[in-house]
Formats: sequence, structure tokens, C-alpha cells
Amino acid sequence: MSQNLINANPTIYNTKTFVRKETEAEFDDDIEDSIDSQEIFDLIRSISDPEHPLTLEQLNVTQFEHIEVDNQINKILIEFTPTIPHCSMATLIGLCIRVRLLRSLPDRFKVDIRVRKGTHQSEGAVNKQLNDKERVAAALENNHLLEVVNQCLATASLRGAQQVPSN
Amino acid sequence: MPHLELVATLEGHQDRVWQASWHPTKTILATCSGDKTVRLWTPISHDNFEQWQCIETLEGAHKRTIRSVDWSPSGNELATASFDATTGIWENDPRDNDWECVATLEGHENEIKSVAWSSTGALLATCSRDKSVWIWEVESDNDFECLSVLQEHTQDVKMVAWHPKSEILASASYDDTIKIWKEDEDDWYCADTLEGHTSTVWSLDFNEEGDQIVSASDDQTLRIWKMYKPDNDQGVMTHNGEATWKTICTLSGFHDRCIYSVSWSKVNGYIASVSGDNSIRIFEKDTEATVNEDEPTYKNIATKKDAHGVYDINGVSWFPTKLHQDWLSTVGDDGLVRIWRVVLD
Repeated sequence: MSQNLINANPTIYNTKTFVRKETEAEFDDDIEDSIDSQEIFDLIRSISDPEHPLTLEQLNVTQFEHIEVDNQINKILIEFTPTIPHCSMATLIGLCIRVRLLRSLPDRFKVDIRVRKGTHQSEGAVNKQLNDKERVAAALENNHLLEVVNQCLATASLRGAQQVPSN
Repeated sequence: MPHLELVATLEGHQDRVWQASWHPTKTILATCSGDKTVRLWTPISHDNFEQWQCIETLEGAHKRTIRSVDWSPSGNELATASFDATTGIWENDPRDNDWECVATLEGHENEIKSVAWSSTGALLATCSRDKSVWIWEVESDNDFECLSVLQEHTQDVKMVAWHPKSEILASASYDDTIKIWKEDEDDWYCADTLEGHTSTVWSLDFNEEGDQIVSASDDQTLRIWKMYKPDNDQGVMTHNGEATWKTICTLSGFHDRCIYSVSWSKVNGYIASVSGDNSIRIFEKDTEATVNEDEPTYKNIATKKDAHGVYDINGVSWFPTKLHQDWLSTVGDDGLVRIWRVVLD
């Protein structure tokens, strides 16, 4: 593998620990299932890391505990944890999460994406950029960047069901 | 209680709408969008303002989102700022009433966020993610000369706005500040830096006199700044013989997400703001509660929640003349343009 990786030897986490809890209500077609943090986690857990053939869940970048959903006020807060504090991929990872949710969720949700406090040296700058919709809109008009995002999202639909083969 | 009444909804844009600009004298609204077009809208008749039509679609000149649009003071030209790093100048040919892009201004390194004509139409200002503000001189035959490239902001510049009477420019930035730019013998310089917002300043607008500015920020507040000239009666310190701008009022606790746009009516003095919280708010100076003009009180006289449904509202602008002084336009992520009327009852 290339020597230029930002984090050449990331820790890989066991992903079997999180299994979606299915409730009686979810099997009842007459009951509307609200979007909860399990659903959000399923949407983003299998996004591929930009530099490793691993998912964000396998790298512990996304964690179920760090997702808050408030259906009453249509707000979602996602905090993610870069593998290393100087990770230059942090904004790209955040952008992938944002695009995944833009494409999957109903329009009513306002989504805030942040680096988990204390896990990145440019926390403020990364957070500001990820939540500036004008920056996001411009980034998505950049075909090269969009291609990279789409590659990371190619595995997102696995929803944790099956892992990307690691080598 | 005063309230906002929907006059009309203008449908046609194929993507989010970023900004709207009213024609200086006629009832025509220009809007720009992520669909790379500018649309011109007018009411179908002079006595029915509920029905509007898109009379023109300006397209083909920009390869990416058109972020900003502004009528020249004569109303004969339009300027467009695009994420494709160019500024377009559009002119109406009266012979066939057709709009044509007659000039493309190049120079910015990346996305242009805002474009504005000076009050006389002699100058044009643009600003970009490349952190710079450019001042252009309008010459004859659609020629534009860059007079100055101002590079003192440390981050993206989100918006530029001209003083309503003088050649003074204000710029709002992702670096959380506002800068005031002036000219001295062909040299443009930063006359003041307004610090106080704690996040990106998205928008600003002067009052009618041009001695106050209202600014809107991602910090969810609006600030009203007042200009104090050297040797002012209030004893506010100034430096280098330049006027200094000071916050005289902060409006917080009204919007609970980023405030994307603010407009200060030059006709009736109302301030309108719109936000990612989906609401429009109207503020008026509380003349009874204001005992000191250096510490004015503003009150929120009307609010429209979910004015574009569940969508962010990106732009707001008051109708510029007495004719429909109670009108304002809003544009949103839903791709819609809405015309509202403030009803004082």
C-alpha cells in the first residue's frame, strides 16, 4: 500500500456489536416508524473510508451513540470521530455523511454534522465548513470531488449487513 | 398585530433559489438559482398581483450555480455572480426586448458569492471564496476595468453591499467580520473592520441614510452598527481620521438557525431577516422604548414561520420604492420565490 496514507495503520473495530433492535411496532404496517438514530446509523455506517477499504463503522468513525434525532423539531446531530487528530480527510468524511443524508432523508430534517469534541486539531474549521451550505453546494458542483464522494457512498447501502472485504 | 400575507408564489426554478433583486423602478423581480439561470418575473396585470409570470429566463452564460444577481441603478443591466468564477453582465436590447450576456468578467480564482452595483452605477463590486473583493469600473461599450483587488479578509467573502449614496463598500465574511472599504485618490483601502459576530457573516444591508448597517450571521443574531465620524458628539473613539462603526443593537433569540439574509427597507425602515429555521422576521425600531439613539430598541413586529414549508430561506429583499413599500420577496431551498405583504392592522 502507498506510503502516503495519512493514517497507514488504523485500528479496526469489531462491527458485530451493533445490531439493530427490531420492535413489534416495526413489523406492524399500521404503525408509522419514525426516523430514529438506529435508522441514521444504518444509513451511514457502511460508507467507505476515503483511504482504506474499510467502512466508517469499522474504523469507529461513526458510532451509534453519537447520533441524536429529534423528530419533534426535525433536527439531527451527528458527531463523528476522525481516526487521528490531524486527519486531512475529516471534511471529506463529513461531506460523505452529509451527502448520504441529503439523498436519503426527507427534506424536513435539518442536519448538523460535527467532529466529536476534542478529536481533531482543526475541529472548529472542519465543523464550520461542513455546516456551511454554500460551501457544500459548491463542493457538489465539483465533478472530481463528487466522484470521490460517490465512491465512498457506493457501499453505503450495505447498512452494516455485510462488510467491505479488507485486504 | 401586524402580519405577513402571501401575495404570490412564483414557480419555475429547477433548483434552490439563492437571491432576488427588485428592478429599481418597475415591478420586475430577478431571481438566481442553482439551476444556472436567472428568471425575471412580473405580475400578469397591474391590478392583479396574485398572478405572476416568468417573462424571461437568462441562461447559457454560466456553467455553475448563479449565486447572486443585481440590477444596475438604471435598470438596463443585470449583473450575475456565479460559482463558475465569472461575473456576467446582461443587457436588454430594446429592439427585440431580448436579454443578452454582453460581458463576462474574469479574475476571481473560484466561486463568486455576491455582486453589487454602486448607487450611481459607475462601479461594480464582486467577492469570492478566494477571500478577495474586486472593484470594477464601468466604462463605455460594456468594458469593465478592475480598479482594485482587496485581500484583507482571511476567509471567504460572502457578500458585498454599497452605501446607498456614496462610494463606500461593505463586505461580510466567513472570517466573522465586516469590512468597510473606501477610496482615496484611486486607492481602495480598508477603513474599518467590524468585529462582534461569533460566526460567518452571511449578509448585510445599509439603512436609507447609509449611516447604519444591519448584518446577519450564522451566530443566529442580527447586529445593527452605527457609523461615528471623527470628533463625534458621543465621544466614540476613532482612528486615523476614519469613521468607526460600532454595534448599537444586537437582536438575538429570534432565529434559531443560521440567518442567511437581511434587508433594510429604504422606504419604511423595516428590517426583514430570513433563516435556516424556515422563518421570516420583521423588525421595527421601537420609538417609544428608544430614549437614546445610540442604544436603540428594536421589536419583532411580525413573524412568518415555515414561510417556505420545511425549507431554508436564502434571501429576502424589500420592494425598493413607495409603490409597493409593504412588499418583500423571499427565495428558498424549495426552488420557490414568494412575494409577501406586511399587513399592519
